[in-house]
Amino acid sequence: MTKTAIIYSYNTKKTSKIATLIQEGFNDPAIEMINAEEITEDTFLSFDHIIMGVATWFDGELPNFWDEFVPALEEMDLTGKKFALFGLGDQKGYPENFLDGVGIMGEILEEQGAALVGFTSTEGYEFESSRALRNEQFMGLAIDYENQGSMNKQRVAAWIDQLRKEFA
Amino acid sequence: MSTNKKYSIKHTDKETLAKWLKLMLVGRAIDNRAPNYLKQAIGWSYHAPFAGHDGIQLAIGQIFDREHDHLFPYYRDMLTTHSAGLTAEELILNGISRDTDVAGGGRHMSNHFAKPEWNIHNVSSCTGNHTLHAVGLARAMKKYKVPGVAISSQGESSVSEGYVYEAINGASTEKLPVIFVFQDNGYGISVPKADQTANRKVANNFSGFKNLEIFHCNGKDVFDSMNTMTAAKAYVAEHEHPVIVHANCVRIHSHSNSDRHDLYRDDYELNYVNEYDPLAKFRRLLLRYERFTGAELEAIEAEAKEVVKAAHKFGMNAPQPTPESIHDFVIPEPYVSDKYPEGLHNHEGEPKKLIEGLNETLKAEFRHNPDTFIWGQDVAHKEKGGIFNVTKGMQQEFGKERVFNGPIAEDFIMGTANGMSRFNDKLRIVVEGAEFADYFWPAMEQFVETSHEYWRTKGQFSPNITVRLASGGYIGGGLYHSQTIEGSLTPLPGIRVVYPSYADDAAGLLRTSIRSRGLTLFLEPKALYNSSKVLSPIPDDFEVPFGKARLRREGADLSIITYGNTTPMCVDLADKFAENGIASVEVLDLRSLSPLDTEAIMATVKKTGKVLVVHEDKVFGGFGGEVAAMINDMTFEYLDAPVKRVGSTFTPVGFNRILEAAVLPDLTRIENAATALLNY
Repeated sequence: MTKTAIIYSYNTKKTSKIATLIQEGFNDPAIEMINAEEITEDTFLSFDHIIMGVATWFDGELPNFWDEFVPALEEMDLTGKKFALFGLGDQKGYPENFLDGVGIMGEILEEQGAALVGFTSTEGYEFESSRALRNEQFMGLAIDYENQGSMNKQRVAAWIDQLRKEFA
Repeated sequence: MSTNKKYSIKHTDKETLAKWLKLMLVGRAIDNRAPNYLKQAIGWSYHAPFAGHDGIQLAIGQIFDREHDHLFPYYRDMLTTHSAGLTAEELILNGISRDTDVAGGGRHMSNHFAKPEWNIHNVSSCTGNHTLHAVGLARAMKKYKVPGVAISSQGESSVSEGYVYEAINGASTEKLPVIFVFQDNGYGISVPKADQTANRKVANNFSGFKNLEIFHCNGKDVFDSMNTMTAAKAYVAEHEHPVIVHANCVRIHSHSNSDRHDLYRDDYELNYVNEYDPLAKFRRLLLRYERFTGAELEAIEAEAKEVVKAAHKFGMNAPQPTPESIHDFVIPEPYVSDKYPEGLHNHEGEPKKLIEGLNETLKAEFRHNPDTFIWGQDVAHKEKGGIFNVTKGMQQEFGKERVFNGPIAEDFIMGTANGMSRFNDKLRIVVEGAEFADYFWPAMEQFVETSHEYWRTKGQFSPNITVRLASGGYIGGGLYHSQTIEGSLTPLPGIRVVYPSYADDAAGLLRTSIRSRGLTLFLEPKALYNSSKVLSPIPDDFEVPFGKARLRREGADLSIITYGNTTPMCVDLADKFAENGIASVEVLDLRSLSPLDTEAIMATVKKTGKVLVVHEDKVFGGFGGEVAAMINDMTFEYLDAPVKRVGSTFTPVGFNRILEAAVLPDLTRIENAATALLNY
């Protein structure tokens, strides 16, 4: 049986809210919620499909809890696993680094053999640059609480529909 | 983030990890302890904590090789310098300003860590101005074909300074081995970086510069910083051009102990910068990836604590500097002329122009000493040799490596002279500080800076530089081609100022300047470059010592003390008065303003009892005021009349010849003043 997890930091507020929205949207009790602050290699590798909450910190960095997991990630074989990333950013406040965390993490996962799913259109966003861009799409779901919070539910719902297909 | 993974938590050997941890712990312990010295009134009144910059600072110090590299740290670089080799004792001696502080014996402000002996340079508090020194030094490394890099480190906000752009432009133009590190903690004291420049990462402002590579790294992360600095150094070696390393850091504490960051940072921000403490992160990684046990870490922490404790004890017992030492190392002893101890000669050759005296002396000195260099704006392009052709023919004879143009950036010209002279004490550098003295003002910060070096380092570094400036008016040049700026510059300790009038003195003083250690401002009265009035035979080896005035006319009734453009006017007046039997006028040409020949001044005052001080500069605030005050102090009882002065009006110099003549002193004005004094 395919195991799916939503992994994010329980210490976050906005990311936690989006993670909960995603969980509710899937409405699947088999999907596990995992705290990224306490993630271990074994737990991480026990899932086939992983939805990761990856915020961008400072001027385009991973949060510590993910950054400190990178050395472990870099020695994992993630072949056959599918990852969907969501990130939170502020298009107006930090237009130069919008969703960079998603791009950084996405590249690391791909290098280890993972497949990324859940790419979304950049239509409706305005920013200067992002490491999460690939072929004019975001490498995951882009949430902007500060400037487009009213669109969160709609964006999450559409993404869940997309993931149902791409995880299948 | 660097893709070079030479260092990683899983694969870096344990010994190295332990070394890094100990350096970080000792550094952080002193960083945390520094404010206590102030609270206890021991010292360290300026402390800029590095906490939050730990990754990049460790890395800068670790890649620094004191045999080949040069490091220019800034005032927050405590861990950088500790990682580069300064001991805990040396950090504390600097912090509490003891006589045995290796940076300069407590002369410079605390938190300015340096060890010139190891190429860890003593730099200014003018933040970021050492970028120019790094570039100048790298120029010397390239010219002398030695391996290594010059590493300049600064905060991101100081990149706003214009001289930083000049430095990076110069390094990219000349393809020099420099690593410019920007430690970005988001603030310039309380000013957020958004108020400094449009790019959040200021390094990206330089993305259009040719011959320049830009690296970014997480300065809070030891491994990313180590990998990036290692890659940057390798890049410089391979590509032979400069790089910028932009390191993202956090500032956990206030800017310094005179700042209160809680006035402009909220609790949320203060919490999250604490969460991103690089030292705590490094410790977590060591445990998470099972490189060390908790007990092992505690043992290293205990060792670090002992190191700091012992260093504190050592520092507290170290001697204080003595008050009488303030006069030591103001300026190095000059070159001594054995053959011309008074700067006089009886040579009877063909009279030469002042400009010929300068040109021939420059060439002779460049033949005499292969470690001489000259640059400036316009100094060398085919047949052109300076705006007034003083350097004509030099590039053809000595080559582009020693004689070359500088960009139109006076601070760069001056600052790289400072930097290049740090390479080796045998170097002798001549710069045309600006096309005209009027344009030297942008270089003032580097000029003032350079005047401090010898004293600030307690004699460890002497900038051996002659700054030539075409000075003064009488050419119809207007406001920006007529200024004479000795009134502003002579009051600076740490420099010599000479202002010859005649061809022979110009040659002799230039030779002494170039052969001397230290900084000499060589002011050239450009109106006299080709004047027949100052022609003189010049012995090929002529030398004029500093601080030796010259009697141009002897007399008994009145002394005129002068220099520069007004000397031949005063001589003309003395001759006129003599020919007409009006008076016997003595004319003393100062030649040197600093040091000043006080003996010669006193001698002439005692002889005539009446003194007229004449110079081209404004009377108000002009150097003549200092001469007059000195005469009053030292020879008041010999005076038969008040000391009078003639100089420019308190106005700029107008362009129209009628205006210029109304401003600048002339023979008539001098004659009127002299007559009034004679009749007093």
